[in-house]
Amino acid sequence: MIRRNGLSLFFLVIFVLALAGQSIAGLGAYNDDQLGSGGDPVSWGAYVTSADFAVDVAENWQSEYLQFLLFIVVTVWLVQRGSPESKTDGTGDQVRPGSPEWAKTGGLRTMLFANSLGLVMGAAFVLSWYAQSVAGTAAYNREQLSQLQDPVTWAGYVASPDFWDRTLQNWQSEFLAVLSMVALSIYLRQRESPESKPVGAPHGETGTDV
Amino acid sequence: MIALPVSACAAGGVPAVEEATGRFFAAVAAGQGAAACALLTDAAAASLPEPCATSILDAGLRGGPAQEVAVWGSEAQVRLPQDTVFLHRGAGGWRVRGAGCRPDGERPYDCEVSG
Repeated sequence: MIRRNGLSLFFLVIFVLALAGQSIAGLGAYNDDQLGSGGDPVSWGAYVTSADFAVDVAENWQSEYLQFLLFIVVTVWLVQRGSPESKTDGTGDQVRPGSPEWAKTGGLRTMLFANSLGLVMGAAFVLSWYAQSVAGTAAYNREQLSQLQDPVTWAGYVASPDFWDRTLQNWQSEFLAVLSMVALSIYLRQRESPESKPVGAPHGETGTDV
Repeated sequence: MIALPVSACAAGGVPAVEEATGRFFAAVAAGQGAAACALLTDAAAASLPEPCATSILDAGLRGGPAQEVAVWGSEAQVRLPQDTVFLHRGAGGWRVRGAGCRPDGERPYDCEVSG
C-alpha cells in the first residue's frame, strides 16, 4: 500500500513538513516585525490563523496551480520540438477495456472527464488566488493601520501594487521553472525518470507517449 | 442604537475597540491624565513629554461618538467627529497608539500622540 503510493505519500509528507517549517519561520519574522513596530509578539496558534500566514500560503499555492494549469492546457496546443513535455501528435481518447466509466459513456460526462485535470487545476488556481486577495486585504489593512494609514477595500487591494507584487513575483518564478524544464529536457537526461526522455533518445525526439 | 459603518475581518473586536476609545476620551475629558496614559501603548506614552499625565491633557484631544470603526487583526481605527484614533491589541487588550490624528494625503496620519 505505502510502496504503491510512495510518490504521493512522499510529497504529502514533505508538503506538511515544509508548511510546518514555514509557520515557525514566519512566526519568528512576524514577531520581529511586531516588536519593531511597538506591538506584542503572538503565539503560534494566533499566527497560523492570521491573515498574514494565509496570504503567504495562498500566494504560493495559486502560482503553483497556475503553473500546472498552464502546463496541462498550453501543451494541448503548443509544441516544443525535442521536449518530452511536448506531444508529437493528438493522442485521442483511446477507450479500451478498463477505461474509466466516464471515458466511455460519451456526451457531457466524457467531455467533463476529458478535461477534468485542467478544470480542477483551474478551479484550485482561481480559489487560491481569491483566497490570496481576501487574506491579503486583511494583512495589508493590518499593516496600514499599524502605520497610521487608512485601510482599503477588497477592490482597492486587488488594484494595489502589494497584490500584484505578491502575484507576479510568484508567477515569474513558476514560468521560468517551466521554461527550464521544457528546454533543458531536450538535451539533458535523468535515467529512469518519466519526466525525462530515455538516455539514448535523440535530442530531436519529441514526446514520449505516442 | 446607532449602526456604525464597520469594516473588519474580526468584527467581534468592534465593541472592545469602541469601549477602549470611550474610556480613553472619558479619562481625558475628566482630567484624569494618568488613567488616559494607562490606555496608551508604551510607545505612544513614551512619545509624549514627561510627565505623560500632564502632556496628554495638553494635547487638545477631543472625543465624541464613534462614526466608523475598522478592525483588522490586532489593529483598529476609529473615526470620531473631530479626531481619528488608532488602536493596537496586545496582551493588555486594546490600547491607543495614535490620537489627535489628521489625514496627510498619502502619508501616515499626522497625530498629536503616536507611537
